[in-house]
Amino acid sequence: MFVVTIWMASTIVFFLPRLSGQNPLAEKIYQEAQQGGYQDPDVAERVRVFEEKYGFDKPLWQQYVKFVVDVVQFDLGRSIFQWPKSVNEILAEKIMWTLVMGLLTLVLAFLIGSAMGALLEWRRNNWGLMVAMAPILAISAVPFFIFGLVLQLIVFNIDREFPLVYGFKQGVVGWPDWSDWEFIASVLKHAILPALSITLVSLGGWAMGMRGMMVTTKGEDYMVQAEAKGLPDRVMLTKYAIRNSLLPQVTGLTLALGLIVSGVVLVEIVFGYPGVGGQLLQAVRSNDYPTTQGIVFVLAFGTAAATLALDLMYPLLDPRIKSDGT
Amino acid sequence: MSNATDTVTGPEPMMAEPSSFESIYRERLVPMGRYLRRNKLMVGGLSILGVIVLLVIIGHLFYQQDDRKGNPQGVSELVYAASVPPRLKPSWNPWGEYPLGTDEQGRDILAHVLIGTPKTFRIGAIAAAIGIGVGLILAFVGAYVGGWADLIIRLLVDSLIPIPGLLVLILIATSLNPGQGLTENQLAFAIAVLAWPGPARVIRSQVLVMRERGYVTMAQMSGTSALGIIFKEMMPNLAPYLLASYVAALTGAMLATIGVETLGLGDIDAPTLGAMLYWIIFTNALLKAQWWWLIPPIVVIVALFVGLFMISAGLDEVANPRLRRRV
Repeated sequence: MFVVTIWMASTIVFFLPRLSGQNPLAEKIYQEAQQGGYQDPDVAERVRVFEEKYGFDKPLWQQYVKFVVDVVQFDLGRSIFQWPKSVNEILAEKIMWTLVMGLLTLVLAFLIGSAMGALLEWRRNNWGLMVAMAPILAISAVPFFIFGLVLQLIVFNIDREFPLVYGFKQGVVGWPDWSDWEFIASVLKHAILPALSITLVSLGGWAMGMRGMMVTTKGEDYMVQAEAKGLPDRVMLTKYAIRNSLLPQVTGLTLALGLIVSGVVLVEIVFGYPGVGGQLLQAVRSNDYPTTQGIVFVLAFGTAAATLALDLMYPLLDPRIKSDGT
Repeated sequence: MSNATDTVTGPEPMMAEPSSFESIYRERLVPMGRYLRRNKLMVGGLSILGVIVLLVIIGHLFYQQDDRKGNPQGVSELVYAASVPPRLKPSWNPWGEYPLGTDEQGRDILAHVLIGTPKTFRIGAIAAAIGIGVGLILAFVGAYVGGWADLIIRLLVDSLIPIPGLLVLILIATSLNPGQGLTENQLAFAIAVLAWPGPARVIRSQVLVMRERGYVTMAQMSGTSALGIIFKEMMPNLAPYLLASYVAALTGAMLATIGVETLGLGDIDAPTLGAMLYWIIFTNALLKAQWWWLIPPIVVIVALFVGLFMISAGLDEVANPRLRRRV
């Protein structure tokens, strides 16, 4: 399954940009040649040399085979727009921002949302919880980046100094510098809004899923038995109800991954965050195939790998299921 | 919404029982009304969407503009005000000619929203209808033909689901119309291409469960053909699931539409909601404190999504009767 996903991703990533029939490499070289001011007589020759270097002169199927073989070894080629940087170098600069933001918000939303859902069903008539849930549920219907815009609008009207865009304070010489505490503080402060917009929006879904599962779990025989044994409320909640209800939530996690990646990319663009989202948009705008392909492939790979990891973890969480090696 | 119900409940008339309108009213509509009274989420969602539809219709009927300077013949005032190049300074003056103000390019924001909302909805509706249609066919083929066909379909579906759709859309957008962005129909089809795996998976598992039910076995034994079983026995029972997956697909498709347009990969000069967001972000409207430009599209988008979410939560109750008792 995993292998097929990776193969599909690389195939889509290879063929789609090629449908446009453009030649970004030649365009870029001609453009640069013109910037020089005089007509370089060897331009055509240079285009040929570079095309050879990128392998664009070979038949399509050879390019395809080479691409797939390279890509599964994470050799993503060189950027056209930011030559001679390799796509790997570009990704290395950006991917951590996206990864940390995505994972952090995912885990936060999953944990808080599940806890809220569990409590909501456990303490059924708690008005405080129910009142808190209403806006969270309403928000959960809204796309991440739209809610991000809303947050920006609200914060902008409360505190004009609060950072709305970018990943850290711009215009400071020597930044990014991870040994500078001030820089780290700035990064954290800038991360608040995008992280909030993803986390708050995701909360509702997890809470509802958990509540639904808790309803089923509460009706099970072992819950009746636990109550009959006179177990304390807390033990019943954590060891019996939550533990069993959490399993389907993990399945939900695998399904949510793709959506979250798409969402994070958009949020990054809205907030001018320095992750792969902005980079992807720039690569798309400048027709930089290798970079576009590389970013899309790596994100698809990450999603598929995380899905696989969760699938493999499932037997650990639920001993009743033996892995049959999907 | 007529679009939605048409596609999904299409097969329903096939169950035609010999009944007059009156008995349909008594047997179908009355219980439905009684049920709706209990299903508050559905009613809430439907009324939010209803209000939006109503406002858009009223807007289209009564939109008027005094200055027709430079308005070429053949274009309605609304379209003209929503799409035309720099005329006015960005400003907000609710008592003047433009009640919601004008944007950075001098377009009327009210006209922009009035045209953009149905456009976004239309793209989503087309994409979701195609996606569900393809998903439905594949689900039945997979569940009925079985064997290698099912294997291939399952493999396709399972391996496509983890690939983030928006990224593929971005690739499609750049390859189809490089430099210009996708037209509306292209966008709808591009989204439809990505919209089928989810529904296919959900419907397939439903069909598999249903195939083992007593009434299907009964129909089989009495010699009903496979197609007869699919359309006469299964479809009516599948209807709530189909409707629920249609609403889910519609939400996803609209999200994708707005997302792609916000990235500037749609037609950025067309008056769509996403293009509006694109310009808002692109021109830093927020930092220029042009809040009157930001609020209308956000309010409409939030209302649309909350409405659809409530409807789908309400439909969930119909599809899973176990949830019904609690409300």
